[in-house]
Amino acid sequence: MNTAAPVKRHMGLRASRRAANTAIYVVLIAISVIWLIPFICILLQSFRVESTNEVGYVVPHVWGFDNYVNLAKTDFWRWYRNTFVIAICVAVFQTVIVLCMSYTLSRFRFKMRKPIMKLMLVLSLFPGMLTMIILYRVLADIGLTQANAVPGLILVYIASSGMGYYVSKGFFDTISKSLDEAARVDGATRLKVLVKIILPLSKPIVIYTILTAFMAPWGDFVFARYISMGTSKGMNVAVGMYNWLNKDQIGSRYTMFCAGGVLVALPVTILFLMLQRYYVEGVTGGAVKG
Amino acid sequence: MKRISDLEYLKLPRYKRLAYKVASFFASIPGAVWGLIKKIGLAIAGLFAGIGREISDIVSTFVHGSAPTKISYVVMGYGNMARGQWLRGILFLLFEIVFIGYMILAGGHWLSMLPSLGKQGPTEVYDWVLDTYTYEYHDNSFKILLYGVLTIFFIVAFIYTWRVNIRQNKIAEQILASGKKLKSGKDDLHSLVDDSFHKTLLALPMTGIIVFTVLPIIFMVLVAFTNYDGTHNGYSNNLFHWVGLDNFNTMLSWTANTRGGTQSYAATFGEVLTWTLIWAFFATFTNYFLGMLVAMAINKKGIRLKKMWRTILVMTIAIPQFISLLYVSKMFAKNGIMNGFLMDLGLIDQAIDFFGDASKPWLARVTVIVINIWIGIPYLMLMATGILMNIPQDLYESARIDGASGWQQYSKITLPYMLFVTGPYLLTSFTGNMNNFNVIFLLTGGAPTNSAASSAAGNVGYTDLLITWLFKITTGPQSQYYLASVVGIMVFVVVALITLIVYSALPSIKNEEDFQ
Amino acid sequence: MKKLLAILLSVVMLLGCANFASASQLAGTYDITVWVAEEIADLTRTQIDNFNAANEFGITFNATVEPVSEADAATNMITDVEAGGDLFCFAQDQFARLVQAGALAKLGQRAAEWVKANTSAGVVAAATSGEEIYAYPLTADNGYFMYYDKTYIPEEDVDSLEALIRDCEDAGKYFAFEMQSSAWYLASFFFATGCVSEWQTADNGEFESVYDTFNSPAGLIAVKGMKKLVDSPYHLSSSSGSEFSKNAAIVVTGTWDYVTVQNILGDNMGVADLPSFEVDGESYHLGSFNGCKLMGVRPQKDAVKAAALHQLAQYLTGEACQLERFDKRAWGPSNIAAQASEAVQANPGLAALLAQAPYSVPQGQIHGSWWDIAKVIGEDVKNAADEDGLQEALDNYYNKIASLFTLSDDVKYGWTVIGTCNLTDGFFYTDYTDGRSTWTDDIPMTKGDDGLWRSAAYEMEAGTEFKVRQGRSWDNNFPADNFKVAEAGKYVVVFDEATGEVALEAAE
Repeated sequence: MNTAAPVKRHMGLRASRRAANTAIYVVLIAISVIWLIPFICILLQSFRVESTNEVGYVVPHVWGFDNYVNLAKTDFWRWYRNTFVIAICVAVFQTVIVLCMSYTLSRFRFKMRKPIMKLMLVLSLFPGMLTMIILYRVLADIGLTQANAVPGLILVYIASSGMGYYVSKGFFDTISKSLDEAARVDGATRLKVLVKIILPLSKPIVIYTILTAFMAPWGDFVFARYISMGTSKGMNVAVGMYNWLNKDQIGSRYTMFCAGGVLVALPVTILFLMLQRYYVEGVTGGAVKG
Repeated sequence: MKRISDLEYLKLPRYKRLAYKVASFFASIPGAVWGLIKKIGLAIAGLFAGIGREISDIVSTFVHGSAPTKISYVVMGYGNMARGQWLRGILFLLFEIVFIGYMILAGGHWLSMLPSLGKQGPTEVYDWVLDTYTYEYHDNSFKILLYGVLTIFFIVAFIYTWRVNIRQNKIAEQILASGKKLKSGKDDLHSLVDDSFHKTLLALPMTGIIVFTVLPIIFMVLVAFTNYDGTHNGYSNNLFHWVGLDNFNTMLSWTANTRGGTQSYAATFGEVLTWTLIWAFFATFTNYFLGMLVAMAINKKGIRLKKMWRTILVMTIAIPQFISLLYVSKMFAKNGIMNGFLMDLGLIDQAIDFFGDASKPWLARVTVIVINIWIGIPYLMLMATGILMNIPQDLYESARIDGASGWQQYSKITLPYMLFVTGPYLLTSFTGNMNNFNVIFLLTGGAPTNSAASSAAGNVGYTDLLITWLFKITTGPQSQYYLASVVGIMVFVVVALITLIVYSALPSIKNEEDFQ
Repeated sequence: MKKLLAILLSVVMLLGCANFASASQLAGTYDITVWVAEEIADLTRTQIDNFNAANEFGITFNATVEPVSEADAATNMITDVEAGGDLFCFAQDQFARLVQAGALAKLGQRAAEWVKANTSAGVVAAATSGEEIYAYPLTADNGYFMYYDKTYIPEEDVDSLEALIRDCEDAGKYFAFEMQSSAWYLASFFFATGCVSEWQTADNGEFESVYDTFNSPAGLIAVKGMKKLVDSPYHLSSSSGSEFSKNAAIVVTGTWDYVTVQNILGDNMGVADLPSFEVDGESYHLGSFNGCKLMGVRPQKDAVKAAALHQLAQYLTGEACQLERFDKRAWGPSNIAAQASEAVQANPGLAALLAQAPYSVPQGQIHGSWWDIAKVIGEDVKNAADEDGLQEALDNYYNKIASLFTLSDDVKYGWTVIGTCNLTDGFFYTDYTDGRSTWTDDIPMTKGDDGLWRSAAYEMEAGTEFKVRQGRSWDNNFPADNFKVAEAGKYVVVFDEATGEVALEAAE
């Protein structure tokens, strides 16, 4: 076996590659530190027992679970449940709607197709913030605000979810049309084609859609705050916890905010990390191909 | 600008090619704009021609039609029922009954109020026995506008349905005349999962979008032509009314001394717009290139723990922004951890007021852009990871055999490939960043404040984007919804222009079929 | 009609039938929502239960108490009055907005009398728009004073702003005083030099006019004092008590931070009224706003329910409930009887407020935009390079205030004289150190047939300085440098719009 010569020949290359890799490691470690600092700070602060306000140091002097225990004394878990219910419902319905919409626009050729896509594009150019007031009014009229804000929020999130068809349409576009045609020739209905052929191939985009739909409600506070209108029963975690940073509450609630933050981040993060692979496939399969 | 042939183009040195591309992009803009105007003109002309055709068709169908067809002009669905298509017929008739009922019971009322938006405001009554004031509410401008618009929607839908009803009669007559059979109700139902499956699939999503997106947008556009604000809330204090183009005049006027400010609205708008565009540009491209670099670093051969690096970065996506960004904004406060850290290192001897120093608006702006990198890199890293894996490896192999350096491989293979497949993404990301409410709102709230701008429009700051400014106007001391609405419309115009220009200049977006 | 009713009412009262609302009329069970700050939510629940048990009318409230911060309560009420709490608490700066939005029910005759009888005058004004009272005062402690850390700040320095700044810089600790983002705190410096900003409201809550002297020599002194503070690298624009755990030695804030600060500093906590600052050898004691929180009743359709709600509001803002709130949460009472109680008098935070009281200004009604207009003075002052820059900050402020009210064309295009002169006295003088306000009043001019603008005739001292300006703003003004009166005498100011020339015409 010719060992000596090639090794010698590649020494320089390998050394330079090693140097490059070391540099990359240094950069990656630096980036990781920068990326993790805020989260580690929040985590540490949530275990601080000696005081509840903002402080200038990071590592607690006295450790404990007091903040987590105290959350039970507030409406936190109710908000948590609200958000969870919203997230689950939105994840289910939004996925169905987005898939319907994107599948149709990807697979069917009908008269209204282009106009619908153009309409979606035009609508997406309007700042959504603008319609907050009117949506509040509409929901208030049908009694879905304040204490009933949860179904109200679900309704609004779902109703406009068809607008987000773009990424999954891109994904469907990448699935070869010949599959459909073969099945159609065999006499399958369009419905059957969708359920039996396309969906099994679309696992990444389905999971991607579920994941993004599930994550969004956890962070919405501007609109959710409007809809709940000061009624604790109808708040989601973001709205409820955002109030803890008000001037009159931050002194006694800051560490609880951190603890609550950890609890909110936990399910979303775990879910995200578990399904990260599909997210990548979905986003690369869909987002980048028009 | 002189067009050159492909061959000439290839002969050019590389920098000249780039210059040519840039120049031809800009040279294409006037043409694109002109093309757009022409298109709009043609569309309008086409619309009128279409209406004319429709009317003549309606008339000729009536003249040549049979009795059931003629009756269908008044009793919708009669023709269908007479020809045995009960399902369709009943649906048509039901719709007509609901429509007429609605117009009589409510629609007519709302429609008649629409021009005035209400006449009678709330009244106060003193009950002297109980020594209390009570309040009676009468007209509600908001509801009048809302239900007025809804009613118009309904009327348009009715006219459309009526037209479909007539066309169906005509088609049915033609089919019968040719000796074929009409579709039964069962056929109709079956086609909903087959030939007309798209209608079934789209019904729900489109209804949602029309009710909860289209209608509100139309409503808010109309608000721009009223004086709806905190002191004219249309219900519990004063009614609001139509004011024509007044609000646009206010927004676009260069007269200084606007209410509570020394800077004109137009000047403020110009400033905020400029910053919004600068922000969107940097927020998009810094993330794009840095995210790509990070992805390449992680994916590089020989780098271990790939999954771990990715996972760490991805945390910023998974954790809700209202938690992470609020925390980061506290870190960057004048007495926050960031300043403490820099001072401990001895890099600075005085705390930097990142977001509070109006004399250095660019400090706040640059800081925001930098922090946005922290948020944005992970998304790009994930996307780039996926795309990089898709690049055929043999391209690199052959490049390496030809002796291409790492940089050459990047600039000749990786970058063009990335740019090609992510073109549309870059555009949506640019417009998305223009409307990136969360980052600005949670990080700075728009600070530092622009002291010359009008306070009536909610104290706009140097890091405010149009979208956060719009929010401030809405929630500002005078709740000027009408002005927010004007800003919203202008945001739309700006974003739409950019999108149109880019679309017409980027060929890869237009041909969606090419990818299939 | 209203007046007639009022007369009728007083007649009936005289007849001795003072207790209109007999038990049978108000008796019943009412479902209501109450919005209060999170801090007192539990307490309020107990208090409503107590009311249900004790009231003489047979009223039972089935109350849902929602914790809603004062700021949110006002915003929410304005967005949708019908969805609001039947009773809600808010800080007084939101009052005018709420009245304008039709979100506050007017108090009846007797309720208004009750408020006037039980509350100090400054606080009553906070709940009054035009002639009418619209809300029940809940606290009167919405003012600020100084907390400091005794480790770094020696007792003898607490009276001098300059000494305090020096102490902070020496110790490397922050002096927290919210100068860059809050007009409420920043006004402190202006009140120190006697500046005022007084606003007049109509019955419907709309603002009619303003008398504002921030843009004056006294205002210039105020911003010079402010400049000393904001230029210090150890100034921090914040008013949060928890700054003490993050490197602050002084925080200017109010009673609501008392517990927080005490927890952090323990025995090292010092409390004092605000210090004085020195400009040109004169000393000025920092002023403050003295405000209150209010409880409002949402406009109701049902008179009986409204009357019952007013009864509850009176109970909740009465002496007993205010004292309970003081006991549990150290909220300073607005009720005169409660204020007089020993426990209240002995509270150190309230004592500091009391020490600050002689320098404080009742908050009254202030235009919602004023807060936003005035708060930028802090940043402008920080950015100002010199005295001209400071004056510019004040001009900027003044122009914005002036632009709040739509000016008539006469005012907008008319020219006025402004200088070391005073409109009320019609007197031009040079010596204005005696506190008479100058450079504040515009003396009107009228346009003659010859196209020249003339003022009335005034006695003028030698050395009097003035300018002529248009639209009561500094956008157009002449001459470039102040016009100086060379010789004392009685003159008319003459101005030529075409050339921008200013001259004096001797008057007989």
